[in-house]
Amino acid sequence: LNAAPERAPRQQVRFLPTPAPGGGGAVELVAASVPVLADHPLVRGPRFRKLKIGAGHRLDVKASGVFVLGIGHGNKLLTDLYNCHLTKVYTVGGLFGKATDDFSDTGNLVEKTTFDHITREKLERILAVIQGTNQKALLMYSNIDMKTQEAYELAVKGLIRPMGKSPPIITAIRCLQFALPEFQLEIHCLHETQQYLRKMVHEIGLELKSSAVCTQVRRTRDGVFTVDDALPRTQWNLQSIQEAIRNCQLKVEAELEKTLA
Amino acid sequence: RGFCVPAGPPSTRQLREAEEAAPVFQYAGKAAKRKDRVFVWGFSYSGALGIPSFVKPDAGWKKPRRIQPTPYRLETEDKISSAACGYGFTLLASNTRDITKVWGMGLNKDSQLGFQRSRRDQTKGYEYVLEPSPIPLPLEKPQQTRVLQVSCGRAHSLVLTDSEGVFTMGNNSYGQCGRKVVEDEIYSGSHLIHQLKEFDSRVVQVVCGQDHSLFRTKKGSVYACGWGADGQTGLGHYNITSVPTKLHGDIAGVNIIQVSSYGDCCLAVSDEGDVFGWGNSEYLQLASVTETTQVNVPRHLPFKIGKVKEAACGGTGNAVLTEEGNVFVWGYGILGKGPNLIETAEPEMIPPSLFGWSDFSPDTRVAHVRCGLSQFAALTNRGELFVWGKNVRGCLGTGRMEDQYFPWRVTVPGEVVDVACGVDHMVSMVRSFT
Repeated sequence: LNAAPERAPRQQVRFLPTPAPGGGGAVELVAASVPVLADHPLVRGPRFRKLKIGAGHRLDVKASGVFVLGIGHGNKLLTDLYNCHLTKVYTVGGLFGKATDDFSDTGNLVEKTTFDHITREKLERILAVIQGTNQKALLMYSNIDMKTQEAYELAVKGLIRPMGKSPPIITAIRCLQFALPEFQLEIHCLHETQQYLRKMVHEIGLELKSSAVCTQVRRTRDGVFTVDDALPRTQWNLQSIQEAIRNCQLKVEAELEKTLA
Repeated sequence: RGFCVPAGPPSTRQLREAEEAAPVFQYAGKAAKRKDRVFVWGFSYSGALGIPSFVKPDAGWKKPRRIQPTPYRLETEDKISSAACGYGFTLLASNTRDITKVWGMGLNKDSQLGFQRSRRDQTKGYEYVLEPSPIPLPLEKPQQTRVLQVSCGRAHSLVLTDSEGVFTMGNNSYGQCGRKVVEDEIYSGSHLIHQLKEFDSRVVQVVCGQDHSLFRTKKGSVYACGWGADGQTGLGHYNITSVPTKLHGDIAGVNIIQVSSYGDCCLAVSDEGDVFGWGNSEYLQLASVTETTQVNVPRHLPFKIGKVKEAACGGTGNAVLTEEGNVFVWGYGILGKGPNLIETAEPEMIPPSLFGWSDFSPDTRVAHVRCGLSQFAALTNRGELFVWGKNVRGCLGTGRMEDQYFPWRVTVPGEVVDVACGVDHMVSMVRSFT
């Protein structure tokens, strides 16, 4: 980063004594724009000695996916993005038949159950109910008076969201794949933790009169950042980082303006 | 010497073997059936919810519960196929061939639940029935006839059977039970249950308004009896009728597939999707065709909203459901489009996004609409129940006591199959998920 071409040094206006035209010993002060000596690379040293990096929404050790970081002045945007309360999308993989103490497949086994009575239809029914109750929670925690006309209009457009602290809420959930004993869900949620999603998989298993553990949690979208914008391990170098920041800048600004305006 | 080895943390192989050796529990087999349940909520002091411990607590720590704000399970032995809520009482009916087919609970001051013999005094009957009690119907073939549907009005009730016509009981001061009005008749503790058989064909739907009754036959004609001062009998006059008489007007010759009424206004839907209305129009329910406040002949309501599948008539507001699954409301009161829409004469559509329709689930639509006196209920094809309207003594079931100005989901632990709305309570038939 330090090898990249640097900003031009600041200029300042100084009054320098120059010999007056026309000879003689008189000295005049003439204004001239001169580079500030303090900005010279030999005086100041390398531009960047350390970088301030801030992290966006937390991601578990066992989970994977999009993780938003802010560098330097971008950390201020991070707090703004947090206050936007945008939804995150996860792909959650589960396995029927087992129940463990930490709800994932690497925990201590608690119970094994049969699962041959489970059909895709039953699972979708349960998902519809989960979505319904969470929809209610969405409206309740958004702290809008239900009796006003604007509450009705926001509800019609689907824009009611809790804009402060709230327990985890799932805004949308659907089943992507279903092949007994495995299944995969897509979950859109707010203010959640990955352990909460694993607990949700466990509860779905209980509701279907069986048991389930979570095998995979992958975040595919965090607010405006999707998997396409994210950099995989092989691209963790300066060029790609700078390009990625440039590409996302517009999106982030537009979103912040829309929500916090 | 290696005989006693201290146990360290289990190795992967030991863990795997322990897992495979663990016993497998079975909670539900492949042929596990979904159970049918009944949930009730609303005002309980009239006994209409059917849970006696809410009115008279049977344990020392229990307190009387005046209002049940969220759905509460009502235990019944038989599968309830039809339910109806009246003004402070409820009827539950099952499709069985057993001798007891109908149960009633709630107010019984006009014998709207038949004669419930009191245990303290064998000659008198109960005025409040707190538990679902069987209603003895004078059937000719009790072990063959099935009860298809029940309906409740203000102080009378109708029971529809498949082969023995319609049974009516309760208050008859306006002839709503279909028999001649007897002056100064005492309805409390009465054993009289009247049977109606003379219709042009088999009756397939019975509907109770506040003090009148409507019967729809298989041929598509509608009969009415009862109070007519608002023209709700639709017979062309404003007097009471004590014998079910056929309606004419704009529905003569039209095949009607559904009739609905709860207050003093009535709506009928034909097989071609047209809506007909008659009765009270003080709240602009029929203002699209006439300026008068009472209409005593069925009139066609020329709405251009598409083919109508189902109609529901409340006390002051009406709702219809079209073939596409959209709900249209009109009338007066809390109509479901926010606090600003209080009255309208032309139907207005409620946006489907309020019923759970979104880009994620584009095939969610409303399957049924029902009306209470000042509430509306809608059932979606996903088995969710949405309610809105005036929250009279907690009857909406949302858990809050405030009125609800737009459709709000009621959390019921199951898929809602049908719902019956009353004045201050509601009953729903629910199937469990698995």
